[in-house]
Amino acid sequence: MKQILAPIVSNSEIIPDVHLIRIEAPQVAAEARPGQFITACCGDDVLLRRPLSIHRIEEGQLALLFAVVGQGTAWLANRKQGESLDILGPLGNGFKVQQNTHNILLVAGGIGIAPLVCLAEKAVDDGISVKLILGTATATQHYSEVDGVEIIRVTEDGSLGEKGMVTDLLPSIAGWADQLFACGPISMYRTMAAMGTEIEGKSVQILLEQVMGCGVGACRGCAIPTHQGMKMVCQNGPVFDLREIMWEQITAPKIGQF
Amino acid sequence: MTNPDLSIQLAPNNHKGLLLTNPVMAASGTFGYGTEYADVIDIQKLGAIVSKGITLQPRQGNPQPRLVETPSGLLNSIGLENIGAEALIKEKAPLWNQWQVPVIVNIAGESVEEYAEIARMLNGVEGISAIEVNISCPNVASGGAEFGIDPQMAATVTSAVKQATNLPTIVKLTPNVTDIVQIAQAVVEAGIDSLTIANTFKGMAIDTVKRQPVLGNTVGGLSGPAIKPLVLHLVYRVAQAVEVPIIGCGGIASANDALEFLMAGASAVQVGTATFVDPQVMIQIVDGIGRFMHQQEIANLNQLIGTAILR
Ligand SMILES: Cc1cc2nc3c(=O)[nH]c(=O)nc-3n(C[C@H](O)[C@H](O)[C@H](O)COP(=O)(O)OP(=O)(O)OC[C@H]3O[C@@H](n4cnc5c(N)ncnc54)[C@H](O)[C@@H]3O)c2cc1C
Ligand SMILES: Cc1cc2nc3c(=O)[nH]c(=O)nc-3n(C[C@H](O)[C@H](O)[C@H](O)COP(=O)(O)O)c2cc1C
Repeated sequence: MKQILAPIVSNSEIIPDVHLIRIEAPQVAAEARPGQFITACCGDDVLLRRPLSIHRIEEGQLALLFAVVGQGTAWLANRKQGESLDILGPLGNGFKVQQNTHNILLVAGGIGIAPLVCLAEKAVDDGISVKLILGTATATQHYSEVDGVEIIRVTEDGSLGEKGMVTDLLPSIAGWADQLFACGPISMYRTMAAMGTEIEGKSVQILLEQVMGCGVGACRGCAIPTHQGMKMVCQNGPVFDLREIMWEQITAPKIGQF
Repeated sequence: MTNPDLSIQLAPNNHKGLLLTNPVMAASGTFGYGTEYADVIDIQKLGAIVSKGITLQPRQGNPQPRLVETPSGLLNSIGLENIGAEALIKEKAPLWNQWQVPVIVNIAGESVEEYAEIARMLNGVEGISAIEVNISCPNVASGGAEFGIDPQMAATVTSAVKQATNLPTIVKLTPNVTDIVQIAQAVVEAGIDSLTIANTFKGMAIDTVKRQPVLGNTVGGLSGPAIKPLVLHLVYRVAQAVEVPIIGCGGIASANDALEFLMAGASAVQVGTATFVDPQVMIQIVDGIGRFMHQQEIANLNQLIGTAILR
């Protein structure tokens, strides 16, 4: 874990309201693994650092992919090349690909694509076959391509690929995979957790979000209930086994603002 | 001028004393058991570390969500999630014993007897420099703040802890009272070594879409810059009423904030929420106080304490 001032290499809106920011962070990139995250200081008008997944690791640089949802991410969206970002990381546990895994299926709901691209690129490098089911509300929100990865596209309005939710397609593809990795809204996880035979016996790792205080396990703020007691998203997670979480007791982090 | 002396004695009446090399410490519950941030800051440069509030038995804490950010503030309802006194003594204290930085253990009980029991267990344990008695946690159903809102109860807990330990003992007060001076005077009379002012202010946030409180525990404690002027005023008042050293705590995020507390009568400060924002902040505050003293040609920290009190 390091805290550094990372020069911004580029920052652009690659999807409506979704930004890709590249930063020079060799010390953090050297340690980072897929599924880990950093926290970034987002200006003087918000207090807490914002957690963001590592989207890509490339030669001393980190890429972050984030949706603009509030004040902190809006500040981040306005940062320019040449400015620096105060980041802390890498934090958290990251995804675990088992030794004997040949095929992995990634399930992304919306901005949930962010950490999965990092995992996909690493897996492709390691000679693992990767398929990705990507679902968004509409076609314009779709992420372009990931080298070596078959992307199965789904939209809620049917404007691209199959019409529906990623979880509609999941059962028909899950059989192919040795391991599943998912990132998306809690509703998606709930649906997956309720699935029976379709994904039975498969290892399913999911990335969970909670509002965080410290990001390092010091404040116990991002606790979530699991079958093994309370666990910290920042320290024990953010990657958990799907079946480890007590979904009926989980509330999504977003505070509703009308 | 030679380097200014930032050291401060926080338990002048205790035979062991509680001598800090500088007046900046990590506030309880925001710095875990001292190791969590060790990768990114040199913890040995801190004046002291106050560990997460410990109870007799381990606690799971409150349901999530436990945190909500508010304008310039943070509401938390952790509910004293901790590993329990026994594990702390076995697993953490040996580590602390190898550190230069003093570690102060924050304790909470559900009864007077429980406070005393924990204090007894901690007594004589190597690696523990002092006890901070939390009679001010807003986030637990029994115990916590209920001991901190009544002068009589506060004094009873204080005496019980004092009798159970030789360690320097600090009492941490709640700001959620009509007159904090009364409570402060009561615990000072009961023989406390120093006071921490203060814990968090009770507060809440509502999710307007769901029409329900955001926090899993409904209410939480407000910390961060939002509470700084309120706590500064409490320190200013208590400093004029009692003789024991005061540790100011609430919203401190810069050397200037810390200096305000010192000038209001605090002998030391604790920093909590600001560490979440920038883990380096406590080190910057130590350096900043030193720089200020150097510039103003102040040789000794004691020459700053209470200097803004109008008499
Ligand atoms: C481990 C982890 C990884 C994440 N990775 C990404 C990513 O790669 N890309 C991305 O777009 N988003 C990601 N998020 C969510 C991201 O942190 C929030 O969208 C962001 O904090 C919102 O900040 P804001 O000020 O714009 O929004 P506001 O709604 O104004 O934020 C208010 C408060 O709530 C917190 N908050 C709001 N939404 C979330 C959330 N979903 N999770 C946690 N805290 C939240 C904020 O940090 C802040 O403290 C991740 C969250 C976690 C926990
Ligand atoms: C997440 C969190 C956990 C806390 N846990 C404790 C605790 O266990 N015991 C305690 O006495 N105070 C606890 N506090 C209160 C802090 O020690 C401090 O009094 C308060 O946060 C005000 O200081 P600040 O504004 O610098 O954060 C906690 C505060 C926060 C934010």
